[in-house]
Amino acid sequence: MKNKITAGRVINVLLLTALTFICLYPFLNVLAYSFSGYNAVLTGNVTFYPKDFTLSAYQEILGKKQIWQSMRTTVTVTLAGTALSLVLTIIAAYALSITDLPGRKLLTGIILFTMYFGGGLIPTFLVVKGVGLYDTLGALFIPSAVNVFNFIVMRTFFRSLPSSLEEAARIDGASYLQVLVHIILPLSLPIIATIGLFYAVDYWNSYFNALLYIVSPEKYTLQLRLRSLLFGGELNSTANLEGVGSMVMSQSLKMATVAVSTLPILVVYPWLQKYFVKGVMVGSVKG
Amino acid sequence: MSIVGNSMGVGRSGTDRHKTMMRIRNYRWIYVMLVPVLLYFAVFKYAPMYGIVIAFKNYNVFKGITGSPWVGLAVFRKIFANSNFWHSIRNTFVLNLLTLAVSFPLTITVSLMINEVANRYFKKVVQSILYLPHFISWVVVASIVVNMFSQNGGTINLMIQKLGGSSVPFLSSNGWWIFTYVASNIWKEIGWGTIIYLAALTGVDESLYEAAYLDGATRFQRLIYVTLPSIKSVIVVMLILQISKMMTIGLDAPLLLGNKKVMEVSEVISTYTYRMGIEQAKYSESTAIGLFQSVVNVVILAAADRFAKAIGEDGIL
Repeated sequence: MKNKITAGRVINVLLLTALTFICLYPFLNVLAYSFSGYNAVLTGNVTFYPKDFTLSAYQEILGKKQIWQSMRTTVTVTLAGTALSLVLTIIAAYALSITDLPGRKLLTGIILFTMYFGGGLIPTFLVVKGVGLYDTLGALFIPSAVNVFNFIVMRTFFRSLPSSLEEAARIDGASYLQVLVHIILPLSLPIIATIGLFYAVDYWNSYFNALLYIVSPEKYTLQLRLRSLLFGGELNSTANLEGVGSMVMSQSLKMATVAVSTLPILVVYPWLQKYFVKGVMVGSVKG
Repeated sequence: MSIVGNSMGVGRSGTDRHKTMMRIRNYRWIYVMLVPVLLYFAVFKYAPMYGIVIAFKNYNVFKGITGSPWVGLAVFRKIFANSNFWHSIRNTFVLNLLTLAVSFPLTITVSLMINEVANRYFKKVVQSILYLPHFISWVVVASIVVNMFSQNGGTINLMIQKLGGSSVPFLSSNGWWIFTYVASNIWKEIGWGTIIYLAALTGVDESLYEAAYLDGATRFQRLIYVTLPSIKSVIVVMLILQISKMMTIGLDAPLLLGNKKVMEVSEVISTYTYRMGIEQAKYSESTAIGLFQSVVNVVILAAADRFAKAIGEDGIL
């Protein structure tokens, strides 16, 4: 009954294939542009495969100092941010997964409340400035170190671990820190990998914090650099791109930049994909 | 909440209080570990909440938050009198509503379509590709959108011209800009949105399908009478959840896709707050708008939660 081939079934597969293609097309378009020759791009013959194949756009983009600088900045922020975020999230999730910790509900409430209400843009901006993080790389990860959603996912996971192991270790005289490091963490590697990837992707992609807090061009992150290169450094710039005069960079060069800055995401995506479905599901059952 | 309850409860007898103290002592290292976490929330989440008072002050950078004079609701009167503010609210609603109107039924349809696929391998490939755009940054998505949709040299307009049509101002006319905004949002998030429905669909009782099959129900009838009712509650909760987010809008997409020509439709609450606060340095006004939005959000969310519970679903808070 399940595997009979019917017209409906064929149409379904065809429609899904079309949808998948629509989803993929922009990526192919980017790659096609980045590998195409100048004339092919100018005459608009490029669709989803390269014309007059050339690597010149990549040679040019990888020869730019600013690209390497922002790549380094983004890698630094992503690594430092992911490390800090993971440490804080794990600590919070572990501590607040202990059911008879006095004050657990109050402390959890303090954290969950920030999901629904916050100071908003300017008050946060003033605090970040006030603690001396303005125009430092720290501003890009310290103020957003704990994602409450990730905290919930992690806590739900810790709660699902059998408490007998922990109790046994406690009876043997292990401290809570030892229990966390030697028992909980080894059992939690998949969830740590998942949450770590979530954080890493967020840091890699984040651009608004950099727009807010970074002024020195030598501290630009990749996303901020990308924006200033692609949109000419001006906020209201998509309109300018409609004009001929503002072709700051050739389209191939722009798309090569896009490809280079997206590559790391595509590289980690298979791992990411392995776990995120579970993460999303656990998170949606918050308690 | 419970710590209050606890400590009050144990206050009645000395031994209970002693027990709680013992427990706290027992967990002292846990509290020590929590210090950096609480410090983080105090500094970056709760201190800004105190900063909200500048919405009721005439904030002066040199006088600081405490030194600036109180002005009561004068700032709010000022923003409410500004038509740009109401435009940004209208635009937020319009963009959110249109996106929801298209993406909500589409997400469910795509989930059902994926669920019908029998070939596991094909299903997995489709899912992997559809989820991918969710992980791409808005800067990248916006640059792809501009590359494809711009009037001069955009891929799509070149195609239209080749087919004999005249070019379409996807990014510079109000109506088309809204179309482009909604389309790019849907492109980015549709796959991601299916996850929750697909999970719900795997939970549908297989025996119901078999019973329906034996009763002679066609594939389509099974979809309408078995599948949809089984995931009805997920659909309802998701709809309530999304409606409760009507006043919230991400800043990245409107800021990166928007431009001066379409400001009339692209300026939303978040971009307005940003422009007021950061570009024009009107700190009090920007904070007041942010506060207004937060309060409205909390109210909508609470109402939605009540509503969800009233119709017999789980709450959303």
